[in-house]
Amino acid sequence: MSEKKKNKKLIFLGALAIVVAGFSLIIAFNWAWDKSSLNDSCMSCHYHTDADINWKQSVHYNSQSGTKTDCAACHLPPRGTMDYTKAKLSAGVKDVWSYLTKDKEDINWDAKGELEYARKIVYNESCEACHVNIYPEGISDEGVTAHLYYDDNKASGDQHCINCHLDAGHYNPNYKHAALTEAPKGSGVVYEAAAEVTSFENYVETVPGTSAAISMIAIPGGEFEMGSPESEPFHEADEAPQRRVEVSRFFMGEMEVTWDQFWAFYGETMSEGRTPPMVIYANNSREDVDAVSGPTPPFGFPDQGWGMGDRPAITMTHYSAETFCQWLSLKTGKKYRLPTEAEWEYAARGGTTGAYFFEGKPKKYSNEGFWNGLFGADTAYINSYAIYVNNSQSRTQEPSLVQANPFGLKNMLGNVMEYCSDWYAEDAYSQLSDGAKDPKGPEFGTEHVVRGGNYTSDAAELRCAARSHTQHDEWLRTDPQNPKSIWWYSDIKGIGFRVVCEVPEGI
Amino acid sequence: MSENKMNRRSFLQASTVLGVGSVVGASALLASCKDGNALVPLKNPGEFYVPELPDMAIDGRELKVGVIGCGGRGSGAVKDLLAAANNIKVVALGDVFADRMGGLQRDLNKNHGQNIPDDKCFLGFEAYKQVVDAGVDMVILATPPAFRPVHFQYATQKGKHSFMEKPIAVDAKGYRTIMASAKQAQAKNLSVVTGTQRHHERRYVEANKQIQAGLIGEITGGNVYWNQSMLWYRNRQQEWSDMEWMIRDWVNWTWLSGDHIVEQHVHNIDVFLWMSGYKVAKATGFGSRQRRVTGDQYDNFSIDFEMENGVHLHSMCRQIDGCSNAVGEIIYGTKGVYSSFDNTIKDLKGNVLWKYDDEAAKAEFKQHNPYVLEHVDWVNHIRKGTMHDEATECAISSLAGVMGRESAYTGRTITWDEMSKSDMDLMPAKLELGDMDMESYKVAVPGKTR
Repeated sequence: MSEKKKNKKLIFLGALAIVVAGFSLIIAFNWAWDKSSLNDSCMSCHYHTDADINWKQSVHYNSQSGTKTDCAACHLPPRGTMDYTKAKLSAGVKDVWSYLTKDKEDINWDAKGELEYARKIVYNESCEACHVNIYPEGISDEGVTAHLYYDDNKASGDQHCINCHLDAGHYNPNYKHAALTEAPKGSGVVYEAAAEVTSFENYVETVPGTSAAISMIAIPGGEFEMGSPESEPFHEADEAPQRRVEVSRFFMGEMEVTWDQFWAFYGETMSEGRTPPMVIYANNSREDVDAVSGPTPPFGFPDQGWGMGDRPAITMTHYSAETFCQWLSLKTGKKYRLPTEAEWEYAARGGTTGAYFFEGKPKKYSNEGFWNGLFGADTAYINSYAIYVNNSQSRTQEPSLVQANPFGLKNMLGNVMEYCSDWYAEDAYSQLSDGAKDPKGPEFGTEHVVRGGNYTSDAAELRCAARSHTQHDEWLRTDPQNPKSIWWYSDIKGIGFRVVCEVPEGI
Repeated sequence: MSENKMNRRSFLQASTVLGVGSVVGASALLASCKDGNALVPLKNPGEFYVPELPDMAIDGRELKVGVIGCGGRGSGAVKDLLAAANNIKVVALGDVFADRMGGLQRDLNKNHGQNIPDDKCFLGFEAYKQVVDAGVDMVILATPPAFRPVHFQYATQKGKHSFMEKPIAVDAKGYRTIMASAKQAQAKNLSVVTGTQRHHERRYVEANKQIQAGLIGEITGGNVYWNQSMLWYRNRQQEWSDMEWMIRDWVNWTWLSGDHIVEQHVHNIDVFLWMSGYKVAKATGFGSRQRRVTGDQYDNFSIDFEMENGVHLHSMCRQIDGCSNAVGEIIYGTKGVYSSFDNTIKDLKGNVLWKYDDEAAKAEFKQHNPYVLEHVDWVNHIRKGTMHDEATECAISSLAGVMGRESAYTGRTITWDEMSKSDMDLMPAKLELGDMDMESYKVAVPGKTR
């Protein structure tokens, strides 16, 4: 064999080897690429028995046709798209990082099942890749209405399949694709008369004709520094400048208004569905109104399946909360209303001047920051006083789990955000003068003040001085009704309220 | 909507992916350099539906048809179908009135050689099910419009091709039933044609090609009209029940016809929506009842429709004797105006840019009757096995008419979202030829009616 021929042969063999190696690599990569999107692969790290079981109980496994829908079919964009590749790579990196740095026992899987998070890991395009006809034979008129609304509005990006079909992939016995038919009944005791208040002491309001009892705390009047200094960690511009404010005495609900209390109101005042808002506004704003018009039936179950009873009532609008106070005043002959922002902060501080009414610093408690992000935030003290992101299990909790503040009020910080009567303005405090007495906030506005953070909040948002406000349109984004409800929000869960009662004259 | 229709956005996406976008863009740019007045198409050929309109449908296997609703329109439609295609067999009839059904049965037998036995003539409000289940391939749905949605729903469930006389919905519930059934018909590869026959009228089809090619530029507005003399009515006869009278007098009762803005004027509203591709967002209008004799309808409407992009369409319709009459559509664009009154497109100075060539069309085709041509297209889709859906477009136009009606009845501005989700359902709870709560059928009073 000549040298030349030998060389040619070598070149040929070398080329062949490269091609074979290339193909092998592609095949191996493809195998790994596919394999890593199989359920076994997902479940090898996503070790969360509940999710596996409730997937098998869901319509995507336990289906009429006997087909199952795999993890990646919902939790990744449709195969063969660029989005699929991107999402798979970023999920992969995140998973490896979590695998190396986190303890899987500490991962809150429940929280990831809540709509806010689930929207990020379920893709409409993937739903539609299988569900090519969202008007199947036998679909109800309600279903057609909702799906036409989805089709008309999906371009705006607000519509997500799981807004309505949250339990499609993971069965949840508490999630019902249905609506509340009547107000849940209370304890069965029916009060005959409202509480008589003869001195400035704590009392329990009993609402005549219902089983609602509201524990009220006497809050002595006084002065305090409203807002926070720039030196306070996580201080925001709208908390400044600090102002010395005087607040007259008042009574305040020990707890956020509970479902039992709210259903008593709903049961007595419910308006028929589709009652035009104008009719309701007209009735409730009459001087001589003797029976208020209350909420229309909510869409679905407003407690989110978390339980009712003493848990705070949630998802009602500011108008709904104000109407509750109007009803309570009519029923008891007292003057109930929402707290002003000044009253709220005064009550939350309970005479303290720090970031919280309990011990500890925001930087220690917050999950923000490199150190806490890596090794976890301190939870001593705060755990006993507030329901927030690190201890809430992604839902509201009963007030019995926390201790009261120095005034005897529970859950001022955390659990649910609370409505104040003030309009929100970022510069509200600049408009105040030092020494103002019982300020009521700006005269006009578009959104109301909400305070105290909620069960999803980081400790930074739980500071006594931290301010927030309603986001009316955003919180009604997916309400399919027209006009949208004036009673119930569709896209916010951690919002509630507590009442204050003005001190009757002569006490 | 049809199988070869592709909207502008998806076309652009697809062409970008293919890398064609840049080429198209570059050539458009070059063209515009050469000639400042180069046409910019609204839609490219292939992105909008153009029916093939031969004189007759293609030959093929025998098709069995059932007729539901044997009045004037049902009788007319089945004869148009027989003129459009060979090898059609009428196998079943359905109606609530024996006299109307008997009339069509005898006529078909005597003049068209179609013998429908008595046991395939079904009477009553449930007759539609018996007709659909009588071994038909296709059905003509031509009862008063109120019943259309449930009939279409049933026919689609059973996999039958439907021809639906317009309008196809008179309320929101009906609209939704049609929309959902249309999706199911698409999935089943059915051919569905609706009686908005301008879509099959040569002069409109040709005008639409010009408009889509960009001859009038971007569409900026429109006027549509159906002003005519009084329509027919039936006086009540002694032996008739309330329901019988209402159905025999159906074009005068809103729950049955949708009122004349929906029943008749839907044609013209539909032309604007069809050619512009715009979606209605709001309707504000008024109307009244001047000289109508029976029923609870108005006899004139004037409606301002606002599209999602802010373009306005004015619509007017009237059924009153002794007034000026006009039926047609005018569509305005940035470069010209289309009028169906003289089938022309003029530029903004009034120069004729295009005119429908009637002589050429007459030389090329024998059949020019759009009522026959719509059946040609229907049968062709069925015989070729190609899916065709006109129900979606016609349902949207019908609901636009309902929006106009409701804005006039109530005196309020009505939005698309409000209308399409409304629980409005005009169908009486009980369907039988008996007493009705006639007191509940009152002429609407703007500002008071809700």
